[in-house]
Amino acid sequence: MPSFEKVKYRPVPVRDLFLEMKNLSELMIDLAYSAALFNDRELAEDIFELENRVDTLDYLLEMTLMIAARDAHDAEALAGVSAVASAADKISDAAADIAAIVTQNIGVHPIVSQVFEKVEERLMQAKVSGESSLVGKRVGELDLAARMGVDIIALRRDKDWIINPQKTEHIRGGDILIVRGVYSGIKEFKKMAEQK
Amino acid sequence: MSQGNEARFEEIVERLVELKDTSELMIDLAYSSLFLKSRDLAEEVQRLEEHVDKLHTDFELLVLQSEFKKEEARGFLGLIRLGVATEKIADAAAQISEVVLRGIEPHPVLQLSIREAEETVAYVSIAKDSPLANKTLLEARIPEETGMWILAIRRGNKSVRPKPDTKIEVGDVLIASGYAEGVEDLKKLSKR
Repeated sequence: MPSFEKVKYRPVPVRDLFLEMKNLSELMIDLAYSAALFNDRELAEDIFELENRVDTLDYLLEMTLMIAARDAHDAEALAGVSAVASAADKISDAAADIAAIVTQNIGVHPIVSQVFEKVEERLMQAKVSGESSLVGKRVGELDLAARMGVDIIALRRDKDWIINPQKTEHIRGGDILIVRGVYSGIKEFKKMAEQK
Repeated sequence: MSQGNEARFEEIVERLVELKDTSELMIDLAYSSLFLKSRDLAEEVQRLEEHVDKLHTDFELLVLQSEFKKEEARGFLGLIRLGVATEKIADAAAQISEVVLRGIEPHPVLQLSIREAEETVAYVSIAKDSPLANKTLLEARIPEETGMWILAIRRGNKSVRPKPDTKIEVGDVLIASGYAEGVEDLKKLSKR
């Protein structure tokens, strides 16, 4: 049985909640296809984590909407927000369904992955070791796009996810980076991040 | 795998790629319909939803009709599951566009920036003599020349998600967003 976190109301602007749900659910779709097509368990596990996070955000958003509605006019407008948020939640569910193809050992027929390998960039996660040369560097100074055709599209630090980290963000040991790029580039980057 | 089956397999992969691309395009268009308050875009999403439903059924039938070996069953189940997920994503996009089509006055939190509220959506079709014809989107430099952003390309009954290497063809309908001034510039480029 999975454990479910009790969601306690705290005041967060609806726009922030909504934007985070939108961004996370879109990231999850990209992660999910990469996980399924390249049978990447690490990515699949990240997706389940993110799915939990989106669920929590959805609860918080619904609570906030309920408090925000003062009259019929508010309720009409906010019902639209609720419908859009639940669509973002549905998208994250679909991503988790794709991730489950990997974790349930079903897999996708290799002929499909071969085709995608040619046309799609791939996503991968890399865990930054304490000894890595990346530690203490800012995302911008690494110049990854020019050097190896790699982009850091998300960063996980403990329970927090940072989507599209800013150039000034410092990388720390223990960070989990989600990178996108050509296979050779991300492979090289993963080695750099995980060096002991 | 036999030779006839190989051709069938190519078709399966092709349909899956189209399902994936279309469902992702729908998400982009659905949010755009919301942020730009565009009924036209919302209707486009609904139209694509019907297309995806059909495509998905075709895809599933193709998978079931392929003569896969027993040991390939898991891989084929994975394909079916992927297809179901694309359908779910398309449904979610349709749900977003429905908010626009129901005429619910979008709440301010659903407007990301003031800029977007002032933009319009334009449809321009590419004439035979257009300088854009047969160029890739990267070569066409439409955002630089007109300030317009390409949201989707309608080609026959399909819609293509714009990528830098997507080639613009004669007869394509470009769906673009931007300020009103840019619409005129884009229209000029599409004719000539």
